[in-house]
Amino acid sequence: MLSLLDTLNIGASGLEAQQTGLTVTGQNIANQNNSAYTRQVVDLSAGPDIQTPNGFEGTGVQVSTIQQISDSALNGQICNQNSTENYWNTQQSNLENIQTELGQFLNTSSSSVDGTTGSDGTASSEGLSSQINSLFNGFESVASDPTSLSERQALVSQAQTLAGSFNQINTQLSGVESNINGSIDTDVASANQLMSNIASLNGQIAMAEAGTNNTANDLRDQREQDLENLSQLGNFQISTATDGTVSIVAGPYTMVSGSKVVSTLGTENWEGSHIVYSTTDNASVTFTGGSIAGEMDARDGALADLQSGVNTLASQLITQVNSVYSPGYDLNGNTGADFFTGTDASSIGVNSNLLTDPSQVQAAGTAGAASDNTVALALGQLATTSQSGLNNETFSDNFSLLVSGLGNSLSNANDQVASQQAVTQMLQNQRGSISGVSLDEEMTNMLTYQKAYQASAQVVSTVNEMLETLISMKTV
Amino acid sequence: MRVAGTSYNEMMVSQLNLLTSQQQQLENQVTTGMRVTKPEDDPAAMGQALNMDTENSALTQYSQNITSLQSRSDLVASSLQQLQSLTDQATEIATEADGTATPTQLQAYASQVSGLIQQAVSIANTQDGDQYIFGGTKSSEAPYTTTTDASGNITAVNYQGNTSVMQSDIGPGTKMSVDIPGSNTTGSGARGLFTDSRYGADLFSHLISLQSDLESGDTTAIQSTDEPALVKDENNVIYQVSANGVGQSQLTAAASNNTTQQDAVQQSISSLTGADITQTIVNLTENQTTYQAALQGSSILLNLQQSLLEYL
Repeated sequence: MLSLLDTLNIGASGLEAQQTGLTVTGQNIANQNNSAYTRQVVDLSAGPDIQTPNGFEGTGVQVSTIQQISDSALNGQICNQNSTENYWNTQQSNLENIQTELGQFLNTSSSSVDGTTGSDGTASSEGLSSQINSLFNGFESVASDPTSLSERQALVSQAQTLAGSFNQINTQLSGVESNINGSIDTDVASANQLMSNIASLNGQIAMAEAGTNNTANDLRDQREQDLENLSQLGNFQISTATDGTVSIVAGPYTMVSGSKVVSTLGTENWEGSHIVYSTTDNASVTFTGGSIAGEMDARDGALADLQSGVNTLASQLITQVNSVYSPGYDLNGNTGADFFTGTDASSIGVNSNLLTDPSQVQAAGTAGAASDNTVALALGQLATTSQSGLNNETFSDNFSLLVSGLGNSLSNANDQVASQQAVTQMLQNQRGSISGVSLDEEMTNMLTYQKAYQASAQVVSTVNEMLETLISMKTV
Repeated sequence: MRVAGTSYNEMMVSQLNLLTSQQQQLENQVTTGMRVTKPEDDPAAMGQALNMDTENSALTQYSQNITSLQSRSDLVASSLQQLQSLTDQATEIATEADGTATPTQLQAYASQVSGLIQQAVSIANTQDGDQYIFGGTKSSEAPYTTTTDASGNITAVNYQGNTSVMQSDIGPGTKMSVDIPGSNTTGSGARGLFTDSRYGADLFSHLISLQSDLESGDTTAIQSTDEPALVKDENNVIYQVSANGVGQSQLTAAASNNTTQQDAVQQSISSLTGADITQTIVNLTENQTTYQAALQGSSILLNLQQSLLEYL
């Protein structure tokens, strides 16, 4: 049979164990709003038995481990989902910028450039589309009154507005492109910083856990947080080694192994494109998820399509208009000049002589016939002519297709963002139900530990009384 | 299932965000009356709306073209009326100047015809603003110049214009002209008003010949040559008057056709891009009810979360 002092120790072990339990409960409660925190539980086990003539008697309780309740498969899934969701978030925000810079909207109250208002509040377009219409209407107006200098002046100023819009759209889309490249640089720098943090956390975790069966819970939480942030930037492949460290691979190239950063990411302009590459392997890295991929795909997809589409449209407009216009005659009998100057959206402009002298607009098919409008009429009819250089579409149709193409990309991104957010939310809830802190549960645990602590204290106090009884017996 | 304390808040925030963003979109639709304002709203409808807007703007231009053709046509019509009465008078004089007329009468007729020639030249040089309307497309200079003899009589009228006419678009693929060249002796193209070799019309030289026959008292030539020639001129003018009438009714038809088409196009744009206001308001009300319910539910939940603590 155990002595009274042994029983006192059992009480003391109870006090110690309940106190540890209360500490962990306190830690859980304190971190309940920390989204990176994984809840911890105390695993208790009975102390070793001692064989007595009465049989085996216990020696109290001991804390075997403080365990993190996490599901590593679910964490991996969340990382993958982060990459996918952030890919679409990034696409969405960049495509919205592009949509804004293109400036093609519908409006009920707007007036078109030539001053006519959509009657009875019918929607009319703003932006390049209505300016293309205005240009061809300008040619028609000159055709219907070829000797009028004011119609010619109106035409020249409409053409100037259109050329200005082409220049502006081109500049703004280039601006979007360089902003995207800037974001890629920032993301790559963040990724490098996170990978270096993870490598150093790997080292600390390996050292802390070496030779024990305990886990370095809070360090692991920090690392998990860094891994999740990293997964928002790119779809890195992450694998866990037996020593508790994780390795990070981007494409085919290892970035982090154990506590060592094997390679960092860099960016450079290569063959006209801003790319990401592995500095050690000196080879480009392609991501399919995360914000870096989202930025690159928005840049090389919708933005590049739009930029080249707008340039093709501008250069076709310049060539087609000039080829009809150039053989025409102006009011002074001169011929051979161009209407538009430049070669694409960045350089398109209106022949500067026309700005100062609209009588030089070459509207006539023959010299010396002031009311000859054949060239102006032919220019007006270009509006409805299919252009072989534009997939046999008219200028306006071609631009509408560019606009709806961009709209399709953005609307697809919007749908993807909505559904990916729902998936992320579900995974987060699932993880919350495993690893999150439930206040009700912690309060219950707190009561349990408190009552057990009180009971253990009662054991100690009872043994104390018994010992006192024993001691007082001897002195009598 | 265990529910973590933070799950409530995260769910609540994301649901409320979703509801408010839907609300904003619906409110936008109600205030603008439009379902589609940006390419992302409905890419296909946006593309179609832009194409229809192009059509709409072309139809507006056609209507403007028609209006200016109509005013030009009115001007041509008034010149034609004057010319018609002029040829009437000339034919009448030629009919009356037969063998029964006295030399004094013939002299009086001759000076009347001289006046008609002057009047015809002035009609032929009619201007619309600073453009001459009967000179073909050479509109910046007077189409007819005259040669006069010592006594001030016009002995020859020369055409300076060309035989081309200005055309305008009045509808998709439809061109029209209301102009008439003063003279066409090429045997093809638009029919000349004063001279056309195909129809024997040559008003000025016929009038000049009538005048000189009247002055010389050659009534035989007047009856045998001048009168039949002037009848051809009169017929030519009558043809131009009726062609002008036909043209005007074509313009009216084209104008009303354009208006109908434009109405249809605008209606299509509205139905493509406009919001169904009733449905939108119903959706908005639904959304607001859900939003209020979500807020209320959330506040109950937030209070409940404290419950265990309150009981302890």
